[in-house]
Amino acid sequence: MPLLTDPARTDVLDTPGADGTEPVRAWRSLEEWHAGGPGREALSREHPPGAMLPPEGVARRTFLQLATASLAAAGFSGCFRQPPEKILPYSTPPEGLTPGVPLHFATGLEWGGRTVGLVVESHEGRPTKVEGNPLHPASLGAAGVFEQAALLGLYDPARAKTARLQGVEAAWSTVRDALRKQAERDDQGAGLRFLVEPTSSPLVQALYARIQQRFPSARIIPCGAALADGRREGTRLAYGRVLDVVHDVGRAVVVAVDDDFLATTQPGNLRAARDFVNARKPEAMNRLWVAECTLTVTGGFADERLRLRPSQGIALMLALAAEVGAGLSGAAPAGQGADMQAPSAPAPEPRAPTAPAQGSADAGSANARHRNADGRGSNARAPSASAPGPSAEGGPRPRVSPALASGLAGLRVPPTALTDAQRAWVRGAASDLLAHRGQGRVTVGPRQPPLVHALAFALDEALGNTPRLLEPVALPDGDPEALNSLLGELSDGRVDTLIITAWNPAWTAAVDSDFTRRLERVPFRLYHGLHEDETAARCPTFVPATHPFESWRDGQAPDGTASVLQPLIAPLFPGAVSEAELLSVFAGLESQSPYDLLKSLWRERSGSPPDFEARWEEWLADGVIPGTQAPPARVALDEAAVMKGARERTGPEAPQGLELSLVLDSRLYDGRFAGNAWLQELPDPVTKLTWDNAALLSPATARALSLEKGDVARIEVRGQGVDVSVLVLPGQPDDTVTLALGHGRERVGPVGQGVGVNAYALRFQDRPWAVGTPTVTRTGRHHALALTQEHWSMEGRQLALQLPQASFHAKPQALHALQEDGERLYPPGALLKSDRHQWAMAIDLHRCTGCSACMVACQSENNVPVVGRDGVLRSREMHWLRIDRYFLGDPDDPGFITQPVACVHCEAAPCEYVCPVNATVHSDEGLNQMVYNRCIGTRYCSNNCPYKVRRFNYLEYQRREPLARLRQNPDVTVRSRGVMEKCTYCVQRIERARTVARSEHRDVREGEVHTACQQACPTEAITFGDLRAPESRVRREHEDPRHYKLLNSLGTRPRTVHLVRLKNPAPKGGA
Amino acid sequence: MAPLFRPGTDSVLRAFIALALGVPAASLAGLLLLARNPLGRGSFTPHEQPLPFDHRHHVGDEGIPCGYCHEGAWRSPVAGVPPTQRCLGCHAQVWNESERLEPVRASGFDGTALPWNRVHALPDYVWFSHQIHVNKGVGCVTCHGRVDTMPAVQQVAPLTMGWCLDCHRDPAPWLRPVSEVANLTWRPPGDPRETGRAVQAALDVNPRTDCNTCHF
Repeated sequence: MPLLTDPARTDVLDTPGADGTEPVRAWRSLEEWHAGGPGREALSREHPPGAMLPPEGVARRTFLQLATASLAAAGFSGCFRQPPEKILPYSTPPEGLTPGVPLHFATGLEWGGRTVGLVVESHEGRPTKVEGNPLHPASLGAAGVFEQAALLGLYDPARAKTARLQGVEAAWSTVRDALRKQAERDDQGAGLRFLVEPTSSPLVQALYARIQQRFPSARIIPCGAALADGRREGTRLAYGRVLDVVHDVGRAVVVAVDDDFLATTQPGNLRAARDFVNARKPEAMNRLWVAECTLTVTGGFADERLRLRPSQGIALMLALAAEVGAGLSGAAPAGQGADMQAPSAPAPEPRAPTAPAQGSADAGSANARHRNADGRGSNARAPSASAPGPSAEGGPRPRVSPALASGLAGLRVPPTALTDAQRAWVRGAASDLLAHRGQGRVTVGPRQPPLVHALAFALDEALGNTPRLLEPVALPDGDPEALNSLLGELSDGRVDTLIITAWNPAWTAAVDSDFTRRLERVPFRLYHGLHEDETAARCPTFVPATHPFESWRDGQAPDGTASVLQPLIAPLFPGAVSEAELLSVFAGLESQSPYDLLKSLWRERSGSPPDFEARWEEWLADGVIPGTQAPPARVALDEAAVMKGARERTGPEAPQGLELSLVLDSRLYDGRFAGNAWLQELPDPVTKLTWDNAALLSPATARALSLEKGDVARIEVRGQGVDVSVLVLPGQPDDTVTLALGHGRERVGPVGQGVGVNAYALRFQDRPWAVGTPTVTRTGRHHALALTQEHWSMEGRQLALQLPQASFHAKPQALHALQEDGERLYPPGALLKSDRHQWAMAIDLHRCTGCSACMVACQSENNVPVVGRDGVLRSREMHWLRIDRYFLGDPDDPGFITQPVACVHCEAAPCEYVCPVNATVHSDEGLNQMVYNRCIGTRYCSNNCPYKVRRFNYLEYQRREPLARLRQNPDVTVRSRGVMEKCTYCVQRIERARTVARSEHRDVREGEVHTACQQACPTEAITFGDLRAPESRVRREHEDPRHYKLLNSLGTRPRTVHLVRLKNPAPKGGA
Repeated sequence: MAPLFRPGTDSVLRAFIALALGVPAASLAGLLLLARNPLGRGSFTPHEQPLPFDHRHHVGDEGIPCGYCHEGAWRSPVAGVPPTQRCLGCHAQVWNESERLEPVRASGFDGTALPWNRVHALPDYVWFSHQIHVNKGVGCVTCHGRVDTMPAVQQVAPLTMGWCLDCHRDPAPWLRPVSEVANLTWRPPGDPRETGRAVQAALDVNPRTDCNTCHF
């Protein structure tokens, strides 16, 4: 039967694209590309070798002994009745709690100096699930991977439990007495230093201010791996002082230079993703230009992506500025690369920054404003924060100063600094920006130097795009120089007391800073942290910190909106102390609890209204304090300073040799989540690597260095070196090595111990993100990488569809073959027999960035275990929801698409026909049900599943420790060994909603059931609901012309449909 | 030469085969019988509790309705056991010096829980909601029996899946008006099935029998 074996073909996919290009080929790994298809044995095998082997390490004899003993035990225990379970009711019930009904509390989590508002589900006092707060501007209902995985961190048995005072275990009260003595000093705090992370918490900021007031000579020094942010100095250069830049990317044209604004590691990414995708409606798409080093999720989303070495950012930005300047000043846009570097007349030196002249809107703005209105309409759900863009003001906006335009036009770039492809990209981006004045955004990543940022601001100002600048939210100001002067003081012995609340500075310090040795010269050094980590090992005095879900605090979103972060549970380890409690000893406020301090701070800030108590309760319930957004900064661009900086910059030359690029890890951030098993096992969105980091090389560079995937290479820079496995990543610029920070931790507990390689060993103070000319040599050793990209193969069929917008709109009927029910092997059964609900899902690839928040949400909601590195190597990972990543086209510079796939709940499910014990059967509402108790583990169902979404418990993965059990969702069965499992459409949520609705004698309504993945998704790519409900969103999406059914030719009738991703590439030959 | 097999060998062989087949078969039958028997299900066994709480007195004599202590049954999956403060609501005045109530007072004062023994235990892989049953006209007495006559509570229903499904497939005989749910002595005025049908129509009772109704 050819129908069942041929991959589905569509008109669009068969015929060349509208612009005459060949249809692109989708592939998952370089091995697959070179094999010319997934015909290779290793790829076509369902599981890699070893997946079905029994666990090693138990001898046959031991096994028999154990088996006999357990048989005997089982036999005996059957003779006696089990002891009765205990019911332990409350003595005094908490307010508002009905046992069995979970409560939801608004709180939040701060990382990277910004807070995301969250709602945490709590079952009888145990937090079990982290969700986003729809009222919070940084969340809008979504929760990222770090926020959700923080739950596992709360129950981490490796957390620090007891305090130490000068090396001796002590109670917190003893340590507090010692600190009080430290605080009774009369040197104005000359030897007192605090090493902290910049925080958005007004409470902690107030405590800092109080400490500074009490000890004028004390200093509070910011520290952290992510602190080296070029944006900070960029705003100082462009506007004269340090400002916050909000990622305001809901624009018609976005040009991102080395800026992965969709990445999990950038604070504010959830909101940025929502804004950006909302401005990318399939019918009126925006265009994303990305120039970046390593392939990222943002680059994968780009319409026009450019590979860029990190050091080329400045050259690219100068070229872009010159091109835009030429367009603005009326000169013909420089058509040739050579023109750019030699304008015929030198540009006039701009004088002092001119006050922006008020004038009529320039050409093209009427159209621009119209489109902006569209974009804003789509953001209507956003509660409070809206971009104060030009259209918000309505009136005429500042005109471009001619001096700025001609100044930009006069910038020079040496012809060798950029390749032809890069120049073509620059021309395209510039003409797109010029065509959409006031509607664009030029955004630069924190890894780029300040001048690149300043030029981006100048471009945005010149184009009327108005960058969104706010007064800084986080304090202390993240000045990297402060740490350098502290290092000097440490070696001079001028510091007698150092209080460290920043996360693990001994680990994140640059390798040439010699921080750890200098630290040991401080007589009294205290570390306050969640774990006994590398810094704790060097601090004789240690105070265990409370988890953010255990203490009172406040925090601010990137736009300044403040929230009160309430605790969900009393500290699990009684010795733990919150940061506010620790600092209040030095602030002289220790008589007040953090709760009292917080409340009195906000009473004062809100002007002590008479109804403060009522308001306070409201703020706690909503998780947002209204009217607290940071004011837009009133600043004017210092054109002269920017132009001076740009011109004084000696021309960037052609890049030479290898470059090492360090990045924050998409899962472990700076290493603080290395002890978190959910995050360790979460595949990186791009590399699909788990439980490791690897040196990423482009295919050409790997060939040149004769390295292959899994080879261990030695990377040496300035005398420092690490041995790390190589992973060949398509889309990486040639001669660039990318290595993620945060791995290779030494003291992190059993989960993260020794996983990966410590990239901080290659980080230098002067070049925190990119270092020139490392040497990369083969060591001859090999280290297997736990990659999930080749698991759960779907045999190379066209599955994740991406089409150019124009060709899709020209032929929307092209997908019919993938939409209509075809032939089927089995007669239609009594499907769809319920006339109440028919559950279904739709996943819009056009909105999916691949951020993986849905995977963590699913893991958390459904008690999905982790299997460890060894398990992933054997393809035993248990994620019910996986995100497939396909490369498209050329291996050197490929396209990229992500596709979440979970059980699609086929109406004619192949798994159901082969189960010998009816353990998987269909429900009348369209769910493919898995009955764990019937399952005997034949795995026939997984074998017969064309989507490869079933997961088998090869071993007993569930941990039975009390702490691990506290975290489990009580509504979901904890599966044991030998049982098949898979996505259930979060049926426990359906049944809860049904129980409530039917008890009120009505049916479940649209919007009452959200699956965990749907709820977490920052871009609302996942829709779930009732196909029977006439107005449901899922029904609309099931009827959308972009929808298609995975492997439709098999006749399985999946209930989850995917929607095609559209691209909006720039027209060839200039926009 | 003596015969290799003596005449008795056949009997030995027959006995062996009978044992080899019979013992497992008998054990299996025994286990199956046990599972269908109150002995195996643990029903009809009064459960000792940490203090001699008597439903006969509280429900039967004093007429305290079920929902006074087990209010969760109306709005939560679990009916719940009352917090100690609920006990002390009365027992701060009544029998407030009784020796037998010492554990209650201790729990009330120091906040520790009273460790009650569970009588009706469903396996962990079953999701059962009191809320939906109570609001659809299934009486307390239908599953829990005449608690007002029990000195120590015992399980009277088998609580097996077959028993659940009997009612889910044909709920009519077991339904009663919502107002009578907690009434332990209510009897349908006529034919239980007729009364139940009226209730079923009025409350739109439509129980499901798909696996995912209870197991997920």
